Amino acid sequence: MNLLPQIFAGLTTGSFFAIIGILLTLMAQLTRVVNFSQVAFGMFGGFVGMWLETGKNHLPVWLGAIIAAVVTAALSAIVGWIIATWLPNAQMAARSAVTVSSLLILVAAGAVLFGASHNNFKPLLPSVPITLKVGGTDLIITYNMIFLIALSLAVVIIMQLVLKRTMFGVRLRAISDRQNAAELLGVNVKALNVGIWAVSGAIISIAISFIPSTISNDYISFSLLIIPGAAAALVGAFKNMWLALVGGLVIGVLQNIIASNPNPTIAGLKDWVVFVLILVFLLWNQRKEVWDVAR
Amino acid sequence: MSLVLNDVTISRGVGPVISNVTLEIKPGQITTLVGPNGAGKTSLIEGISGVLIPSSGSVMMDEVNITKFSKRKRANSGLAVVEQGRMIFPSLTVKENLQLTARTKADMDEALGLFPELEKRLNNQSILLSGGEQQMVVLARAFAAKPKYLLLDEMSLGLAPVVFLRLLPVIEGIAKSGVGVLLVEQFAHLALGLASEAMVVTSGHVSYQGSPKALLDDAELLRQKYMG
Repeated sequence: MNLLPQIFAGLTTGSFFAIIGILLTLMAQLTRVVNFSQVAFGMFGGFVGMWLETGKNHLPVWLGAIIAAVVTAALSAIVGWIIATWLPNAQMAARSAVTVSSLLILVAAGAVLFGASHNNFKPLLPSVPITLKVGGTDLIITYNMIFLIALSLAVVIIMQLVLKRTMFGVRLRAISDRQNAAELLGVNVKALNVGIWAVSGAIISIAISFIPSTISNDYISFSLLIIPGAAAALVGAFKNMWLALVGGLVIGVLQNIIASNPNPTIAGLKDWVVFVLILVFLLWNQRKEVWDVAR
Repeated sequence: MSLVLNDVTISRGVGPVISNVTLEIKPGQITTLVGPNGAGKTSLIEGISGVLIPSSGSVMMDEVNITKFSKRKRANSGLAVVEQGRMIFPSLTVKENLQLTARTKADMDEALGLFPELEKRLNNQSILLSGGEQQMVVLARAFAAKPKYLLLDEMSLGLAPVVFLRLLPVIEGIAKSGVGVLLVEQFAHLALGLASEAMVVTSGHVSYQGSPKALLDDAELLRQKYMG
């Protein structure tokens, strides 16, 4: 059985999971928050953009996407500001709990404002696929796939360069190491934290603007794509953006291979990939602890 | 021009941990604060640096009331703090640690001039340095900020006495450059030997304030004040 077409097709969703995983890793490292509302922010902004593009508004698609990115960045920055202001020294669990609240608020608000019906974003890029012939196999590549993979790679590379080569990055790493000590040196911890929130919001919104219609755009189920994204981040232990990227791609590809199985029972198991991956990671991560306890 | 504490009380949780401290730290001078564990020395430092806000009293820096200033605003006003426990940024190199405060290359060079041994380790990750070297990085980083006042909280903690002895002349040099230093130390004799002013705190209260020489010359007086 030639799996190459399924692998290629899975790269689109995989690269979206990878972007979520990379952003979750970035947020966990720099702001000590696992942002459960990462995708919900992007969806809210995306639906605002879509509303502006349709009905009486008729805004150009690109303008709707820009407005969506601004709305998402602003929403994300507001939650970041709340956490930086009221929970500056709280544990990661408490800070992350705030994002569970914002997820629930956004899901509820989205359901009221936009309804629970399925919606599709208008494509920013041409939807005509490119067909490549590799060893007699037709591989279908879409512009969205190319963009999403390029975006995920660009985010990792740019962030690595910023963190390692600029003074801005040095300050970000300092607040990641010791927030209080950095503040005592005069580093503007709050502004940096809010900035990271805003940037991560804008990036997820851009990624969502390029999501193909093959992924469900139902508001609630889309917001829950945070789960495979978190599994991708888990592959890099919420520390390594490159491993989060690989994790996301692997999840997307595996899900697509399973989903394309002719047996509907097996195909229905595609969502189990995430569960199995999380389980494998936890067992692998805890192996030394088991050894210590056994001793 | 000085850093002045007026009747400052610092509270944590249910009550005050150090009460009614009045103190003046003058530029170019070292004021040494000694006392047993749990006396409230670190809380006082945190009250001055902005980690804790005094429950009463005021902190004035060069006649500006900084009592309600944030940590960042205090730092930008010229207050530098060396916290307990060698507060390096472990993921940063030595150079990056210094770049956080050094505004110019001259500031960086001047800070490195305090500890020439760090020059060879500039590109090493600071977590890989020895305890003594890490404390040198922290002190050099504070000096690179060109502070008006420097608060040093138990720098000797976890260091071999010989390493601490290496740091003392540097602290003296920093004070001579015009910086007002508040030195909190467990090695009372060494710290009092550098000081122009001394303060002993016990159980959250000031038990002695005055000449360090009197304490150094009279071991019984020092013991009495230490025990409260």
